Amino acid sequence: MTGSADDPLIARIAEALRRPRAVRPGFEARVMAAVRAAPPRLPARAWAWLREPRVLAVSPLAGAAAAAVLAGIVIAGAWSATRLARAGGGAERAAAPTAGTAAVVRFVLAAPRARTVSLAGDFDGWDRSRLPMRREAAGIWTVDVPLAPGRYDYAFVVDGGRFVADPAAPPAVGDDFGRPTSVVTVGGGAARVAGGSL
Amino acid sequence: MNVRVARIVLALGALASPTLARSQVERLAGRMDEGTRAAVVAVVDSARAAGVPAEPLVNKALEGASKGADGARIVTAVRALAADIGRALAALGPSATAPELVAGGAALRAGVRPAFLESLRGRYPRESLMVPLAVMADLVARGVPADTAGESVLALMREGVRDAELVAFRQSVERDIALGAPAGGAVAVRLAGTVPAVAGVTPHSTPRKP
Repeated sequence: MTGSADDPLIARIAEALRRPRAVRPGFEARVMAAVRAAPPRLPARAWAWLREPRVLAVSPLAGAAAAAVLAGIVIAGAWSATRLARAGGGAERAAAPTAGTAAVVRFVLAAPRARTVSLAGDFDGWDRSRLPMRREAAGIWTVDVPLAPGRYDYAFVVDGGRFVADPAAPPAVGDDFGRPTSVVTVGGGAARVAGGSL
Repeated sequence: MNVRVARIVLALGALASPTLARSQVERLAGRMDEGTRAAVVAVVDSARAAGVPAEPLVNKALEGASKGADGARIVTAVRALAADIGRALAALGPSATAPELVAGGAALRAGVRPAFLESLRGRYPRESLMVPLAVMADLVARGVPADTAGESVLALMREGVRDAELVAFRQSVERDIALGAPAGGAVAVRLAGTVPAVAGVTPHSTPRKP
């Protein structure tokens, strides 16, 4: 069957279809109540909440109070870290970088006759006792240190007082204090193992 | 973001920066005499005002204290490092990171000309130059003439060599030098082996200053 919009039959059918159907009173209200009663799923609600823009209005007094509280947290954190560093206990963890840590660098020194060996450098405040090295077989001393990307001066401290450069690492440019110093660079896969023999 | 909230965030940032600097300086307490500590703090404060990071300066002072250096020597060393890093800052620009500035300062102290740093930054404005600058400094420390080290690293980077390959290059040169090769010659050989296209880089024959 063929037809066109000019066909009277088709025109009547179209008109009938366009005509709004009468519904019972209250139908729309019941539909909307049913829609509101069905809660959206949690992820959808959370996503909608996150996407919805909000304007934060803060009075000057409340803003100042919030700033004071946050500043107090910052200062307390710095004070706490300083206390840890002074006390020595746990200071190694406090000094070790956590954010942006690039690598755990293994420092190695072969020193069969040494009684103790520790590591001192830019990463531990040049504290002779904070990073003791562990004696492995055949007088190999090792310690693993997590380091963020950067360039660090360091030296081995043998028997508590003798500074020894790392034979396997580049020397620091222009030794300022007349004691040997080495350099390790961490970044771009620059360093994983540093060490040599004494 | 609400303007007032943004202002609060900025104010907190301004508060946190001096707090961090203070905690760095407080690490000096108990590690050296009060006069030396005060002199170091003055140098650190002055340098920080000029944009030089405090952390490496404090570390330098702690290194001196740990090695038993006297106060004057510690202050001189801190001042020299501040000057090196300040020159690196001038060459690399204010967007340089602290690790870049430390490596750049070492390269300049080794004798690398500031023009090499400026050239690197101009060519790679957004990439970290920490490793290339460190490799320059390390090569010079092993006896490679400063200009040769600078030109070699620049040539390698122009060829797209990455950080890890730069470090491998440095290690190869170090091995060759340890086996008795002249420093400049070792660089030329390894450069040709790494990037044949840049084999024409001529090693400078000027010996490194002691």
